[in-house]
Amino acid sequence: MNEYKILFTGTMGAGKTTAIGAVSETPPIVTDVVNNDQSHTKERTTVGLDFGQFTLDNGDRIRMFGTPGQSRFDFLWKILSKNALGMIILTDNSRPDPLADLRVYLEGFADDLDIMPCAIGIGRLDAHPSPSMDDYIEELARHNRVLPVLQVDVRQRDDVILLIDTLLAQLEAGMFGE
Amino acid sequence: MSVNLKLSPTAKVIAEREAEHFLNDVNGVTAVVIATVDGFDIASAMRAGDAARIAAMASSISAISSVVSQEAGLGRNKSVTIDTESGFAMVYSVHREDAELVINVIADGSAILGQVAYRIAQFARMLAEA
Repeated sequence: MNEYKILFTGTMGAGKTTAIGAVSETPPIVTDVVNNDQSHTKERTTVGLDFGQFTLDNGDRIRMFGTPGQSRFDFLWKILSKNALGMIILTDNSRPDPLADLRVYLEGFADDLDIMPCAIGIGRLDAHPSPSMDDYIEELARHNRVLPVLQVDVRQRDDVILLIDTLLAQLEAGMFGE
Repeated sequence: MSVNLKLSPTAKVIAEREAEHFLNDVNGVTAVVIATVDGFDIASAMRAGDAARIAAMASSISAISSVVSQEAGLGRNKSVTIDTESGFAMVYSVHREDAELVINVIADGSAILGQVAYRIAQFARMLAEA
């Protein structure tokens, strides 16, 4: 049995905690506290880490770690990304500038993205169609990245599993060597 | 980015005044930062460093320690001490009705752990009741 670590990151309110909770077999560990940041209406926000786990059909176990979204917690990003198999970046299309949000993580995790697979999950695209999937792909190209971009509802277990499968498929395709 | 904090003005004044006293009264203390649980500094007194950064780290430590105390069934978390080669950092939780706060104290090797621990507990009690 293998154990893998997957990192969930992305902007505040994009649904990292929700995504991990949607697929975790054990009650997720969350470190959310009252949010005082007026730039966001969220009531609570993660300041430490989120943690959940689940088992794949072949018996391998996935451990999911979520980072705090805000860049003032970037010291934790480095710690949490250590030894991760891959990374999922979540965005929230209802935010004022989702592409700028994405840039924060593409730059903050640039070293990690060179060596591990990544999938981008876009939330609330139905209600907020701009920027489009193509805009995201162009933004990635500006950073010399070719990454799968998927429309997701992080409350839906299947959507989160699809993101994880997309990571694993990149590994199986041999796009990232051991 | 603006911070919407419900903390009473009296408590904020006390936090500012006591941070200053702490820094000046206790030997070896280099920084005292009072932060919200989501990592914003609301009062600080320091010889060097960045209060915003200390506040973010203190809130992470406090949140993780609160998860550990819950998982271990040990009741509400009170404090964490990080003992280092050349000093220590102490993070103390303050539970108030209007705001949950974290006091973070950084001290160098000349500071006495027990003295800082006593003083920070006193400070936390004062802030909780303010």
